[in-house]
Amino acid sequence: MIKLFTKTFSIFFIITCFFDTADAQTIKVAIAANLQPVIKALKNDFKLRTKIDLEVISGSSGNLSAQIRNGAPYDVFLSADSNFPQTLRRDGLAAKAPAVYAQGVLIICSAQNLDLTNWNNLLMTNTIKKIAVGNPAIAPYGKAAQQALTKAGVYSKVNGKMVFGESISQVNTYITTGAVQVGFTTLSLIKDAANKQQLFYRLVNPADYAPIQQSMVLLKRAEKNTAAEKFYQYILSAPAKAIFNAYGYHTQ
Amino acid sequence: MDQSPIWLSIKLAAITTLILLLAGLPLAWWLSKKRSLFKIITEAIITMPLVLPPSVLGFYLLLMFSPQRGVGLWLQQTFNVQFVFSFPGLVIASVIYSMPFMISPVKSAFQQLPASLSQASYTLGKTHWQTLWHVLLPNIKPSLLTAAVLTFAHTLGEFGVVLMIGGNIPGVTRVASIAVYDSVEQMNYNAANNYSLILFAITFAMVLSVFIYNKYQAKSPLE
Repeated sequence: MIKLFTKTFSIFFIITCFFDTADAQTIKVAIAANLQPVIKALKNDFKLRTKIDLEVISGSSGNLSAQIRNGAPYDVFLSADSNFPQTLRRDGLAAKAPAVYAQGVLIICSAQNLDLTNWNNLLMTNTIKKIAVGNPAIAPYGKAAQQALTKAGVYSKVNGKMVFGESISQVNTYITTGAVQVGFTTLSLIKDAANKQQLFYRLVNPADYAPIQQSMVLLKRAEKNTAAEKFYQYILSAPAKAIFNAYGYHTQ
Repeated sequence: MDQSPIWLSIKLAAITTLILLLAGLPLAWWLSKKRSLFKIITEAIITMPLVLPPSVLGFYLLLMFSPQRGVGLWLQQTFNVQFVFSFPGLVIASVIYSMPFMISPVKSAFQQLPASLSQASYTLGKTHWQTLWHVLLPNIKPSLLTAAVLTFAHTLGEFGVVLMIGGNIPGVTRVASIAVYDSVEQMNYNAANNYSLILFAITFAMVLSVFIYNKYQAKSPLE
């Protein structure tokens, strides 16, 4: 019995070792949660061009930054702002200066057919019981939402209705399950092919929040990693920009 | 450091324990009686939160309480209450989540009582409820205390469910365990450490007291 067990285990072990070496051409990319819809398209396109596979880790920008500081083994970090990448660069965790790859667009969104034209008035009414916003401390889209609400002069009045998602993807969950009536999220949610549900949305006036300049940074551990460098260059290339635009981001 | 998450956790744990004492005792008593298939299934369902990931429970509660449809819609229309992102919602989640910690020790204690106790009580003309209240419960005091303390401590330690349906609202759903997570995410390790130490101290004191109290019976807390 023990012999059989050892045999099985050794075979299993050898197979796993083999699999480990088989896909050496993968890079670990940490992405801000707002990129979840677009990363699938980028991943497929990049694989077609280079045969390199991506392993994607998604979270709030702040959370991922903290993980990187604590030695998380990521090669490239795509943030939802410029602040987190710059701080990583300043603290010597990046291989080179951060680069802006896209500009995010903030929307107010609902699973119900609400008229969102005058959303600042709507938020005050009894129709809206809960408003989902990303945690402003760690989710840049949450910070932008906070700015827009303040600008509209309703922030303090609707404070009691606010619910904080730990990243924009949790906000998206709250919106799509209908747990909240409205939420502030990224335009890419609407463009997500995987989202079969009809959502009602309105762009938040770009003048009402500081531009969401999304930066990317190549991390220290990927300094000599050509695959990671390729991906970094790809994200700044025209084909990637076209994909970003298709998902509602602005690019320079 | 903002102390409200600690108090909120304690409030949630106290209310949950109280509800489970009231609802759990009769249920445990009923389960300790003659076995039937229905009872076995009921007991299995009650035990599920022990083995299910809290995220599963959180996910289903999120769907169930969503004011868009079903139960959540009915609650919204009938009572104008919304359970998701509210303190009462956390109480419901905690009651489900901590139920096995209340039911299982009390049920085994009931089962270990000699049948002659209740039989003597019935012979003397006492009803089921009188028997339960005056004869059986006083005889299982240690297990009752263990169950209550563990339920309380377990609710303090809740995290996954609250993360899914709580929405991190200060003073409403930001309990201590969420405050730890939130502080760590914001790299405020000092606050995280304070919350953690307080949680550790409270739960350790409780678990320790259960073990000291039960040392003559040498029981595992989950009996």
